[in-house]
Amino acid sequence: MIYFLQLVVSGTVVGSIYALSGLGFVLIYKSSRVLNMAHGQIIACGAFITFALTVWAGIPIYLSFIISMIITFFMAMSVERVFLRRLIGEPVISVIMVTIGLMSILDGLIYLTPFGTENFSFPEFLPKTPITMGGVSISWTQFVGVIITFMLIAGFSWFFKKSTLGISMRAVSDDQLASMSIGVSIPKVFGLAWAAAGFSAAAAGGIIGNITGLNFDTLVAFGIIVFPVVILGGLDSIFGAIVAGIIMGLIQQFAAGYLDGHWGLNGTANVLPYIILLIILLFKPHGLFGTHEIERV
Amino acid sequence: MSQNRWLATGNFFTSYRQEQRIFLTHLDRLIFICLLVVLFVWPLCVEVSNKQMLVIDNILIAIVAILGLNILTGFAGLISIGHAAFVGVGAYTVASFSRVLGDSHLLLTHGWPLMILAAGLIGTIMGAFVGLPAFRLKHLYLAIATLSFQMIFQWTINFMTFFNQGQTISVGRVSWFTGQIGRNDHYLFWYYVTLSIVILFSFAVRNLLRTRYGRCLVAVRDNDRAADAMGIHPGFTKVYAFALSGFFAGVAGALHAYLWRGVGYESFTLHQSISYLAMAIVGGLGTLIGSFFGPAAMIMLDLQVENLSQVIGKFLTVTMDLATAFRPLTFGLVIVLFLMFEPRGIANWWRIARSYVKLWPFRY
Repeated sequence: MIYFLQLVVSGTVVGSIYALSGLGFVLIYKSSRVLNMAHGQIIACGAFITFALTVWAGIPIYLSFIISMIITFFMAMSVERVFLRRLIGEPVISVIMVTIGLMSILDGLIYLTPFGTENFSFPEFLPKTPITMGGVSISWTQFVGVIITFMLIAGFSWFFKKSTLGISMRAVSDDQLASMSIGVSIPKVFGLAWAAAGFSAAAAGGIIGNITGLNFDTLVAFGIIVFPVVILGGLDSIFGAIVAGIIMGLIQQFAAGYLDGHWGLNGTANVLPYIILLIILLFKPHGLFGTHEIERV
Repeated sequence: MSQNRWLATGNFFTSYRQEQRIFLTHLDRLIFICLLVVLFVWPLCVEVSNKQMLVIDNILIAIVAILGLNILTGFAGLISIGHAAFVGVGAYTVASFSRVLGDSHLLLTHGWPLMILAAGLIGTIMGAFVGLPAFRLKHLYLAIATLSFQMIFQWTINFMTFFNQGQTISVGRVSWFTGQIGRNDHYLFWYYVTLSIVILFSFAVRNLLRTRYGRCLVAVRDNDRAADAMGIHPGFTKVYAFALSGFFAGVAGALHAYLWRGVGYESFTLHQSISYLAMAIVGGLGTLIGSFFGPAAMIMLDLQVENLSQVIGKFLTVTMDLATAFRPLTFGLVIVLFLMFEPRGIANWWRIARSYVKLWPFRY
């Protein structure tokens, strides 16, 4: 039972980070219908900037966390401005391919820095003794990470529900023509969606970096795992991304905890999400909370 | 009506059948035959090192794979982020035969054409299977389905002991009528085999596009509702496109396994899938001629990048291999720049150059 609860706790920790990365992904898809293949690279950039600021520049970690979020905010915005703005109206294939190209470029740029090949880990700034409650333990880093994640998710939810900009973003995702006619600037909204996605990706990167250490491959893998997450939740549902992120985290932890080592299986946590993804695509392609607008062809 | 069969001047078509001919004039046909002769004869006249031959063989194998990807992405309009996995399916078909029967079993060494065919068939089946969501979904979701196939493939290879957990599985030397193909003739032999397959498949693709089985792909890409109204089943057509592209990829994979005399995990990763896409885009999506230019351009570029990074590495005292950084960087830049400034790829330059030569000395 305690083993089960332990898996639930660690699953929630991983899942909340998936939720945060999925959130950024859905933001871009929802407003501009772009599948951002480079999301993992942006997450990695966020993590590395946080690390560089904290360790090499000696800025306190909470400050560097915020600064890195701001830097990626503008980075993602300029990415949209430079590469994607001129592709508005082009076929979907070109747009996806540009994000794939972007992914390659960012890969190359990161390999030029020490982060591409070496592993780093953040200095410990929280107590080392884990919090233990009835046999279930969670480390302070994970605990703080989850708290920050949920605060950010709450912030984003508030932003979309209440603020004018958030409402205009939802309007654009609903009907571009109608929102244009009431004076919403579509390019601005697209830019803002990318910027917000970069912001959340940097936060996710910082948190992952603190929990698992900085390894480029691990960080980039988060950009690929968002696909099962967002498909499960529904490609255009922010709430779906959050729920599906946590579900996916739990599934992975349960797979690692119960399947691995039995029947000669190993590393199932890495493959199960994709099998689920294929099954969902076959039977319930709009996911749990997505809108049912997929045309049957 | 007496037509001049040698020059295009003054000719006109009275039926679609005439317009659909592969060679419009005898001159075209003659040039093509000369090209084929040159392609088959030049290795006998020019001394080529094994290393250079390996590059050429790689380009030819990539052309086979890109022909498949072009059917899927160019003609049917479905993005595949898992093409390397399909190629891998072909390669691992050969590898699993070698694993079960031993790497120099008669079937592998003497029956290699059968093995190549079998790899193609397994590729077809896997392609059709991954394409199944096409019955319900459109392109974006299909791209994600191929991505997940890529990830599942990588996991399967890495974790199954049957596949040697991604370590190299060796494949024996093949035999021809003249006996076993030795070390010196190996690359030349596979040059001829691959070249023949490339020619065969290019004609197959060219002819496919003249029949309704190829045109239905283009129809579904351009407007699936209109295609539906004309009696083409879009879902089925998409699965069919996946199956076709899986066949090409499977054959390419088997050739790859035989050429390298072994199958390893590194050749079929997500990065390789992305570079296949890059080749298709740079060559020109939806054009047959682009399937030749793309792989050639990208593989040559790759070599140049490696040379360049070695030169730079001499000046800078860095411990790391600069090529690992420059390779994705140039790949990404090439994809993005081509998409932004020349979406029709090198095939478009070819078209422009051709029409320039044809009309010379007139400007239009």
